[in-house]
Amino acid sequence: MAGLEDLLKEYLPVLIFFGIAGGLAVVAVGASYIVARQKPDPEKVSAYECGFEAFTDSRGKFDVRFYLVAILFIIFDLEVAFLFPWAVALGDIGMLGFWSMMAFLGILTVGFIYEWKKGALEWE
Amino acid sequence: MQAAPMLPEILLAIAGMVLLMVGVFVGDKSAKPLTYVVAAALFAALALGWTTPHGDAFGGLFVADKLAYFAKALIVIGAAATVLMAAGRATPSDGSGPMRFEQPVLMLFASVGMMLMVSANDLMSLYVGLELQSLALYVLAAIRRDSLRATEAGLKYFVLGALSSGMLLYGAGMIYGFTGATNFDRIAASVTAMGTPSLGLVVGIVFLMAGLAFKVSAAPFHMWTPDVYEGADTPITAFFAAAPKAAALALFARVMTDPLGDAASAWGQIVAMIAGLSVIVGAFGALAQRNIKRLMAYSSIGHVGFALIGLAAASENGVRSLLIYSAIYLFMNLAAFAFILAMRRDEHAVETIDDLAGASQTHPYMALALAAVLFSMAGIPPLAGFFAKLYVLSAAVDSGLYVLAVVGVLASVISCFYYLRLIKLMYFDAPRDAMDSPMPRDLGLVLGVATAIILVFILIPSPIVATATAAAQELFQR
Amino acid sequence: MNALYVIAIFLPLIGALSAGLFGRSLGDRGSQLVTCSALILAAVLSVIAFIDVGLGHNPRSVELMRWIESGNFEAGWALRFDTLSVVMMCVVTIVSACVHVYSVGYMSHDHSKPRFMAYLSLFTFAMLMLVTADNLVQMFFGWEGVGVCSYLLIGFWYDRPSANAAAMKAFIVNRVGDFGFALGIFGIFLLFDTVSFDTIFGAAAQFTDARIHFLGLDLDAIETLCFLLFIGAMGKSAQLGLHTWLPDAMEGPTPVSALIHAATMVTAGVFMVCRLSPIFEYAPNVLAFVTIVGAATAFFAATVGLTQFDIKRVIAYSTCSQLGYMFFAAGLSAYPAAMFHLTTHAFFKALLFLGAGAVIHAMSDEQDMRKMGGIRGHIKQTYILMWIGSLALAGVGIPGVIGFAGFYSKDMILEVAYGAHTIPGFIAFTLGIAAALMTAFYSWRLIFMTFHGAPRADEKVMAHVHESPPIMLWPLYVLALGAVISGVALYGPFVGHHFQEFWGDSIVILANVQGETIIDKAHHVPFWVKALPVVVTALGIYLAWRFYIKQTDLPAKTVAAFEGLHAFFFNKWYFDEAYDFLFVRPAKWLGRQLWQRGDIGVIDRFGPDGISSMAKRVADRASKLQSGYVYHYAFAMLIGVVALVAWRIIQEGA
Repeated sequence: MAGLEDLLKEYLPVLIFFGIAGGLAVVAVGASYIVARQKPDPEKVSAYECGFEAFTDSRGKFDVRFYLVAILFIIFDLEVAFLFPWAVALGDIGMLGFWSMMAFLGILTVGFIYEWKKGALEWE
Repeated sequence: MQAAPMLPEILLAIAGMVLLMVGVFVGDKSAKPLTYVVAAALFAALALGWTTPHGDAFGGLFVADKLAYFAKALIVIGAAATVLMAAGRATPSDGSGPMRFEQPVLMLFASVGMMLMVSANDLMSLYVGLELQSLALYVLAAIRRDSLRATEAGLKYFVLGALSSGMLLYGAGMIYGFTGATNFDRIAASVTAMGTPSLGLVVGIVFLMAGLAFKVSAAPFHMWTPDVYEGADTPITAFFAAAPKAAALALFARVMTDPLGDAASAWGQIVAMIAGLSVIVGAFGALAQRNIKRLMAYSSIGHVGFALIGLAAASENGVRSLLIYSAIYLFMNLAAFAFILAMRRDEHAVETIDDLAGASQTHPYMALALAAVLFSMAGIPPLAGFFAKLYVLSAAVDSGLYVLAVVGVLASVISCFYYLRLIKLMYFDAPRDAMDSPMPRDLGLVLGVATAIILVFILIPSPIVATATAAAQELFQR
Repeated sequence: MNALYVIAIFLPLIGALSAGLFGRSLGDRGSQLVTCSALILAAVLSVIAFIDVGLGHNPRSVELMRWIESGNFEAGWALRFDTLSVVMMCVVTIVSACVHVYSVGYMSHDHSKPRFMAYLSLFTFAMLMLVTADNLVQMFFGWEGVGVCSYLLIGFWYDRPSANAAAMKAFIVNRVGDFGFALGIFGIFLLFDTVSFDTIFGAAAQFTDARIHFLGLDLDAIETLCFLLFIGAMGKSAQLGLHTWLPDAMEGPTPVSALIHAATMVTAGVFMVCRLSPIFEYAPNVLAFVTIVGAATAFFAATVGLTQFDIKRVIAYSTCSQLGYMFFAAGLSAYPAAMFHLTTHAFFKALLFLGAGAVIHAMSDEQDMRKMGGIRGHIKQTYILMWIGSLALAGVGIPGVIGFAGFYSKDMILEVAYGAHTIPGFIAFTLGIAAALMTAFYSWRLIFMTFHGAPRADEKVMAHVHESPPIMLWPLYVLALGAVISGVALYGPFVGHHFQEFWGDSIVILANVQGETIIDKAHHVPFWVKALPVVVTALGIYLAWRFYIKQTDLPAKTVAAFEGLHAFFFNKWYFDEAYDFLFVRPAKWLGRQLWQRGDIGVIDRFGPDGISSMAKRVADRASKLQSGYVYHYAFAMLIGVVALVAWRIIQEGA
């Protein structure tokens, strides 16, 4: 069991942390029950939201097209994220590096043409 | 750095993109011609793979060896056959719109992904290949997006697939952390140097295996299989059942025996456990099924479990038996799905096992072929399925896995019941409303050829056995 | 010459196979032609073999192939042609040829003639295998072969429940005997390390003191083995205790009764004891037992024969009785006398059966003698032939001058019994004389009831009574010739003063201190012993005449006077009832228990049924797990991976 004990020992601080956290929470909640005065009314127990009353259900549905736009955005966002380090290191990685990125951009372009032709970029 | 060994995959990827462009400009009416181009491209890539040199590519990220080639041959056969069978066949109960041109293209991309992953020689390239395959499959599962069942299946597959990918990545990360490498050869060296695998490595291996087990649909990571098989369009299900299974099994074998070969003490028992659970789940789960696609899903869980028994043996013989099993299973599956695709009544697909009743009278040749396939799946000699099981069990026994072998045999006995029930329905029950006849020629061809391979395996086993032997040998020499 | 002998053995097989397998294409006529000609040829070759081997003293053995080799167990397949074999070959093939030809006429109204001919030929082949066997295993092969053919032929008319029941009864009762025979063979192998006759016979003298230990019993080896082998002989030859199948076997077609249940198969037991005489000679107690059983059977069967009304059953009991004679002769070491009676009996008993068959044929398949009578004018030839058969059976002749076949052979046996001067011999002699009296009585009872007096059948049947066709009569004439002359012709070589020259090494009789064998002793009995059988036979015939011709009310009066005894005889000493109570019902009860409680109640319930219902339950549970909710599936995956990790960690730690 040596291996297991060693492993668990490494997690001992975590366990202690959990213990302290749990204890602190119990102390805080318990203290407020014991020390403070309990006098609830409807206003006090109602949901609190940014200072004004909730007017719709918080789990309402909204249009799937938002997702589509978001996903397409992420793809090109990532492309840009790749391009930055590539541009910085272009001098060191040579022609192979250059053509690799060109292939990557080419593939992305194919995808772009596809989504354009499919009409994914139009709202209606 | 050289890219030559990867030429087939590169060719296919370019073909895929070109076809995507063709499709998007021409529209869905190009779908049918595209299927033929896809099938041709697959075979061309296979032929190209035959001529291109074997070896590493991209600095050890990619390897083309006999195992990869064996698996690629199965992938191409399985994918090409199902791509062709799928052409223009939807499940009309879900509305029979025209086939989308994306279907063959996505199948092509999935095949590229499979070919990449069986050739992966690095955890990163493994993941890339696996995800390329998986993403294409998620979309394929839900491609008939006006069908409630298909979208449900696609969503389930996607969510669970993402979870499994996460596990796989987590495992890969652990392995990287404890061995300091992602390249298989360097992981192997590190594991060898380690002697007893460290605990972290073991945890990493288990997570990695969970991800792989999901892909091959082994218990307890199998639960998506029946729902996806049943929900997805039947041609898609056929595609799911054929190539990805063979690819994932080959990948499983490579990952376990190549980089982690010296950690067999850590994963051997887990594979044995997964295999044992799978054969049991496959046997019992199928008993209660009335839908033939669902039945085939459980059957595939059981068969994968059987193939994994070979891996659990953790020996060259065991890997060989796994490869033989996956090859034979591929042909049995192709034959079975060719039959299922032909199960139509009044131009509508039917898919309960009761629809088979009396098929021997209405469709004597089809029924005979399916009977042979089912007997083979049940493992009745002298059909190929018997030898597949025989190789696996003898490898397991050689490695001392007696309990697992006994479990396999018992599960096989139970599974006989539902295979024989289908045969009984076809041969001994009164025919109901006859299914459409004659069988479409392409389906008949696939059914006939696959059945013939199952029948003549006993006479000419060497194309499968010899190549599998060579592949396993090479894997263990490295 | 060897090839000729081998051909003689295999001709019937060829006939059987061609009629059996290709009967449909050969047709009825073709099948009959093939089998009959094969058998006639085999008979001719057998006679040549008899002249060469028996009379020319030229025994030989033809090795065909090695059959079984396993460890030190070896069984060859060789054909042994010595005097004993060729005598049997002649008997079997000649009678069989006659029966084959006769069957062509007798079965002319039947639908499956090729099948019948094939069975007959197959039987003949099996019987030839039995008599030419060179070792015990080979003999057992023939032994079981004839058993199977007997089963098939008794049940030939398989649409009759009674025939099926009789076939099963014959088969099952023979199991008892065959079990003994098989145990005997095992024991012989245990003791001698071989099953080959030559080796066993050569070594028998060395094992006289050998013992067998079994279940704490200390038994004399040779005696035990001979006893077991004799159990086999009792079964096959229908001796008292295991005889119950023979009368029922009359359900088969009459030619079958003649061939199998009179002339050949039932004599296999006698043949076996003679063949194994070199070992039986060292088992005096078993020989005494054989004598007693034989004598008791001779007497018992004769008493039953007195009362039966079925014409075939009368002859069947007569057969049983005559087999008893043969056995007590063998039991007294007079194997040549037993073989002599076996040979002559084959002729006249086959004649009687086939004659009875002709009568039955003429009477439109009526077998009950109470419904016959007064037909001698209609079927004169059959009538005369039946007379010849009966005269031969009863052993009519003039002592010292001449007589029918049975006169020589049966009297020889009775002389042996007297000449033995032992207690079993005396018992056998007494019972034998009594049986001879009854034999004469029931033989003529049969003739008088069947052929004499007023017709008791109805008009329609009587109008139809006709002589059999020539194809049925000719075999009868051949057999009648045998019944007349076989006694006088074979007396010299078989049991004459130089009998040992004739039998050679095939039969071993231990001589007493004066160097006399039992046959020699039998030649020196007083004249009254030789005359007594003839006298009682004449008395028997006279009584039958008194009862059934002169004073036809006598039978009824006698029955009334001895009601109990008659019922006892008429019901065959209640053997069937006793067996039914002792064995059949307990066996059925046990079978039902094992079936209902053992098989259905235990094995099925916990075996196939239990497992399948369990599998179904498990399957239902398994499909309930498949809820369809994606979060259930994800949860299962997580549980799975956590469980596997935990399991691994605990294992690694341990």
